[in-house]
Amino acid sequence: MTSKSKSFEKNGSTVKPHAVDSVWNRAFTCNSEWPDKEEFLDVIYWFRQALGIIIGLLWGLIPLKGFIALLLFVLVNAGLVYMYFTNFQGVDEEEYGGAWELTKEGFMTSFAGFLMTWIIIYSGLHFE
Amino acid sequence: MWADTLLILFISICTALLGEGLTWLMVYRTEKFQKLKAEVERQSKKLEKRKEAHGDSLDKQHKKKIEREEEKLKNNNRDLSLVKMKSMFTIGFTFTALLSMFNSIFDGRVVARLPFVPVSWIHGLSHRNLSGDDYTECSFIFLYILCTMSIRQNIQKMLGFAPSRTASKQSGSIFGPPPQQFK
Repeated sequence: MTSKSKSFEKNGSTVKPHAVDSVWNRAFTCNSEWPDKEEFLDVIYWFRQALGIIIGLLWGLIPLKGFIALLLFVLVNAGLVYMYFTNFQGVDEEEYGGAWELTKEGFMTSFAGFLMTWIIIYSGLHFE
Repeated sequence: MWADTLLILFISICTALLGEGLTWLMVYRTEKFQKLKAEVERQSKKLEKRKEAHGDSLDKQHKKKIEREEEKLKNNNRDLSLVKMKSMFTIGFTFTALLSMFNSIFDGRVVARLPFVPVSWIHGLSHRNLSGDDYTECSFIFLYILCTMSIRQNIQKMLGFAPSRTASKQSGSIFGPPPQQFK
C-alpha cells in the first residue's frame, strides 16, 4: 500500500483535496472517500491477509481444532471484512460489483495464510 | 518436528523470492513485457469504461466497437502469455528439480501436525509418503504448497508484479490473478 495523495487542477492551480489523504489514514478513518477503486480493493486485500494471520495465531494458541475452526475462520473473516466495508467505510457495494466481489477479494490467499499460521503454531506449541 | 516446520517456511520464502527474482530477470524487466503489460492495462480500462457506458444499449455500432477491442485485448493477452512462457519453462524446470530434492530430504518425515483431519481427496498430498493411518500427520509437500500459496502471492503483490484486477477481469479469470505458485 503506497501512501499516494492525489491532486487536481482547479482554475490553473494545483489543489490538494482534503478528502484524498494517504491510503493508510483513509483505511483507518470512518467513511473515507475512495476515488480510486483499486486502492480500496488493495486495502481490503491486505486487511484480509492480516486477519488470516491473526486468526491463525489465535486458533493455534487456544488451540481450536477440527472443521468447526475452519468454518469459524470463514465466518469471522467474511463477517469482519463485510462489517468493515459496510459499517466502517460505508462504501456502495454496487460500485465494486456487489458485496460478493468485495467478500472474495484475496480470500484464497488469506485462507492459505491462515492455515499456514494455524498449523505452524499448533504443531510448535502442542506437539513438541 | 517444529524445526522442520520452520525450515519449510524458510524454504518457501526463499523459493518465492528466487522465483520472483528470476521472473524479474527474465520477464518483468524486459521492455517488451512492460510495453505489453501497459497496453493490456490501458485497453482493459478502456474496455471496462466503454462497457459501463454502453452496457445496456443495443446499438450495433457500439457492440461492434466493443467486440473489436475485445479481440485486440485478447491478442495482446496472448502475446503477454507468450513472453512469459519461455521463462516460465526455465523456472519450472529449476523448481521441479528443487522440489524433488526437498521431497527426498523430507521423505517419510512428519513435518507438522494438522489441527484438523483433511478430507479424503487431500490425503494424497497431506499424508504423502507417510506411514500409518493418522491423517493429522502432515507431509512436506502439503505444508510447502500452503506456505508458497500464501507467501508467493503476497510477495508478488508487494513488489507490484501481480497482474492488475482490471486486466484479470477482462481476460476472464474468475478467481482473480492466475495462480503461479505451484512451480
